[in-house]
Amino acid sequence: MKRRVTYVQRPETPFEPQQAILSSSALSVHGLDAAREDRITFGLEDLPEELRVVLEQSHELRLRWATERSYDAIAPFTSRVSPGLHVHYTPLAADQSSEGLCSLLRSVFGTENGQAAVDCTRPEDSFITPPLLSTRFAASASLQYYTHLPSLQSLVGFIRRTACHQHQVGGTECHERADSLLTADTVDVDYDSISHTLSISGVWTSPPDGGWTEVIPKPASKADQVEFGLLGAEQGIEPEEIKMGGLLAVVGEDKKMKPTMFSFPSRHHPLPSDATYTVSFTQPTGLHPIMSITMQRPSLQRPPAPEDATCALHTYLTLPSSVFGDQYQLGTTDPLFLQSHNLAALRAHAGEMDLEAPDWAVQRWGSTWLFELASPVAQMDDADGASNWTATIPLHLRYLPPSETGHKTAHVPWPVVFWACTAEDGTKMGVNPFDRTNLGWDGLFGPRTMFYQLHPKTGRLVEEIDVPVLKLQAGQGLFQAQNIELGTSLVILLGFLWVLWRLVRVALFRSGQGQRHGHEKKE
Amino acid sequence: MALFDSTPRVFLAATALRLVLLLYGGWQDANSAVKYTDIDYMVFTDASRFVARGQSPYARDTYRYTPLLAWMLVPTAWGVSGPLASAAFAFGKILFALADVLAGWLVVQLLCRNYHFSTERALRYVAAAWLWNPMVANISTRGSSEGLLGVLVAALLWATLTRRPVTAGIILGLAVHFKIYPFIYGSSILWWWDAQRDGAPAPKDSTLISRVLGFITPSRVVLTVSALVTFTALNAIMYFQYGMPFLHHTFFHHLTRIDHRHNFSPYSTLLYLASAGGANYRFETLAFLPQLVLAVVAIPLVLAKKSLATAMLAQTFAFVTFNKVCTSQYFLWYLILLPFYLPSSSLIRKPALGISAALLWVLGQALWLSQGYNLEFLGLSAFVPGLFLASLFFFGVNVWILGIIIRDGGESEDGKTEFKPV
Repeated sequence: MKRRVTYVQRPETPFEPQQAILSSSALSVHGLDAAREDRITFGLEDLPEELRVVLEQSHELRLRWATERSYDAIAPFTSRVSPGLHVHYTPLAADQSSEGLCSLLRSVFGTENGQAAVDCTRPEDSFITPPLLSTRFAASASLQYYTHLPSLQSLVGFIRRTACHQHQVGGTECHERADSLLTADTVDVDYDSISHTLSISGVWTSPPDGGWTEVIPKPASKADQVEFGLLGAEQGIEPEEIKMGGLLAVVGEDKKMKPTMFSFPSRHHPLPSDATYTVSFTQPTGLHPIMSITMQRPSLQRPPAPEDATCALHTYLTLPSSVFGDQYQLGTTDPLFLQSHNLAALRAHAGEMDLEAPDWAVQRWGSTWLFELASPVAQMDDADGASNWTATIPLHLRYLPPSETGHKTAHVPWPVVFWACTAEDGTKMGVNPFDRTNLGWDGLFGPRTMFYQLHPKTGRLVEEIDVPVLKLQAGQGLFQAQNIELGTSLVILLGFLWVLWRLVRVALFRSGQGQRHGHEKKE
Repeated sequence: MALFDSTPRVFLAATALRLVLLLYGGWQDANSAVKYTDIDYMVFTDASRFVARGQSPYARDTYRYTPLLAWMLVPTAWGVSGPLASAAFAFGKILFALADVLAGWLVVQLLCRNYHFSTERALRYVAAAWLWNPMVANISTRGSSEGLLGVLVAALLWATLTRRPVTAGIILGLAVHFKIYPFIYGSSILWWWDAQRDGAPAPKDSTLISRVLGFITPSRVVLTVSALVTFTALNAIMYFQYGMPFLHHTFFHHLTRIDHRHNFSPYSTLLYLASAGGANYRFETLAFLPQLVLAVVAIPLVLAKKSLATAMLAQTFAFVTFNKVCTSQYFLWYLILLPFYLPSSSLIRKPALGISAALLWVLGQALWLSQGYNLEFLGLSAFVPGLFLASLFFFGVNVWILGIIIRDGGESEDGKTEFKPV
């Protein structure tokens, strides 16, 4: 087991040497104002049985979870995914069918409002297949899943039940560390069959009240290792680089913390904190909600990427199956349509594309959409260049099952919005110790692309859409299922009998009446 | 009225109306993000592009039509550039619009020759119901293929009334291949086409056996065989060309579709409920019974020999009214048959009745559409009672009008005029 705790401070944050003290048995931190990353890496043999069985069948399993509270991302933790749980999975054998992963996810993430938080039976039925840039150098996993998961309570419970119980590592400390995930802004879980290790990392972008105070003990066993870092990050000399400096220590081995300075090329780079966007739906949403992404003016400036890089503004939507886009409507090249929505093009889409099916007839969790957005290059210097810029994406709702109130709620996570800058040649990004891949959208770009993410403006990063559904009263009401069935059938039966009666009359009385009316007509 | 005394004038006006709409549509498409062209037309032309590249039209999602349609529209995929580009794109619309006009011409011919209308009277009714009907012109110039059904049904009636059993069979087979529902006309045409229609004297003895044997006439056999051969041959060709996707999308899809979305059909709320798993009695699985009993058996038996066109109108009306799904394009199906029925109908003879029927029908639509607007655009839960009651009311109005058509059809003496072979 390896653990790495990294604190990253903003350059302007004050720091006193006594805030981080290394002893021979532990490192203690006091009142530290910083972002914090805690990463633990396990070997397969350290893991609970039920987890190991599933991982042994996986080529690659990556979970990305983000909170729906807005948070300030600082370098090197600037990459974002839409709030909720994203699962990226590649089975070991392409044709293998397993229910193991889904039942594991169901038991780890439990239930929410009485419904399984992870509604999946088998990956090949419930997951979607993201488009691959190149099958030879697959940069992203082959299957993708998403669910709206506001809280990690169940995951914490799972860790308390299994890992803490199994290792009996200092009872309360294990529980406390599991509980700390409840306040994390993002949590990543990574496994791949090459390293045979599972790592869990949580990132807290801001400290609790009074700053971080904790004691990081040296590992219980010789085989384990605990690393500690207290760093600051800034722009490197090259535009694609991030430079970090500060103190490093291996707890229990090093006598004192070592000063360090290093830089590395990075995929993800920060934008100024005023480069923000907000997401909303035009009211009333009806059955055809329109998503508006409003970007503040500083968001629209070209990021400080290398001169020769091509930069474009993008958004990546993660839509649950209840909300969908029409790939033919959105994939159009008609400039009038695109201009009217401030879109440049639909670059990629994957998942549940059916235009007609109701939600209960849809197997997969939903769909993902990568749009290139138009950016107001020409107008920037104009007087109205100061105003915000809004891109709109017309979407549609599926029918949802009936409810007592006549309404149901669809949760739509805010999409991520970012500049992607692609350079013809460049350096490898993998050497970054804080590198983050498999975010869903990053795999849709070349390996040398740099991303500059806009910051979602404060607030909840999930929109709720009110979906009108059939109102069904369970008890005494007039509109019960039974009354709709009987009412419809009765009306149709009466209509049918009425028409039959008209036909019978014509058939029976044809001769006499027909003659008479025939004469009338001639008059 | 002087307007209607010249055939060329009426047809030129009808053509001009469509030409203006085509040009206007091209202008709107080029200048507005809101398109004049129907979304279905984009489906057809996408499918044609696949076909032009040697692929299957079913590579396009929601293409649920015969490949014939995609083949017919292949010129839209030729990628003509320059000023002809928009004309190439509009090729299908031009075809649909011409089909409209041709359908109108066939109806006028039939009215004049078989129903002994004066040209002016025939023109007046056909112009009002079809040729100058803005809804018809709008639908075909927006690129909906429903107009093709109009010409097929008009041609079917023309071939029947002019005693061309082979042609009638071919058209029937083609029409059913194109859009399933015209199969209902098969039963009325077969019932209508007894030996006397071919000039035989009325049978003197009427024992059961002689009646059964008398039913099998050369015309009926020829018609049935040619319809079956056409239908089977077309399907075989398409199946060998495109395999299961053809069968699935053109035919099976209509058997398995859920139709849970709100539409004019009285069944729509029930189907939503049943599809979501909330129904106990499963009455909707019997929905085909009243529809087919009326449209395929009862109406043809009672009305076909009295007035074939009115019987076909009543069949279409019953089929649409009792269908599990109903959208406004379905109303086009019976418009083409109205000129045969309206002139002698009590809706015209008794203006109060006619106006009430029209008002009630429009009221039914208005009630439903206002509820549909509440649901679709305001997001109100309008399924019950709004849409539920509105669709049942609309059903009631349609059933009442169907009753009137049947009564009028029973009093009709058209059967005698249709007798005369031309």
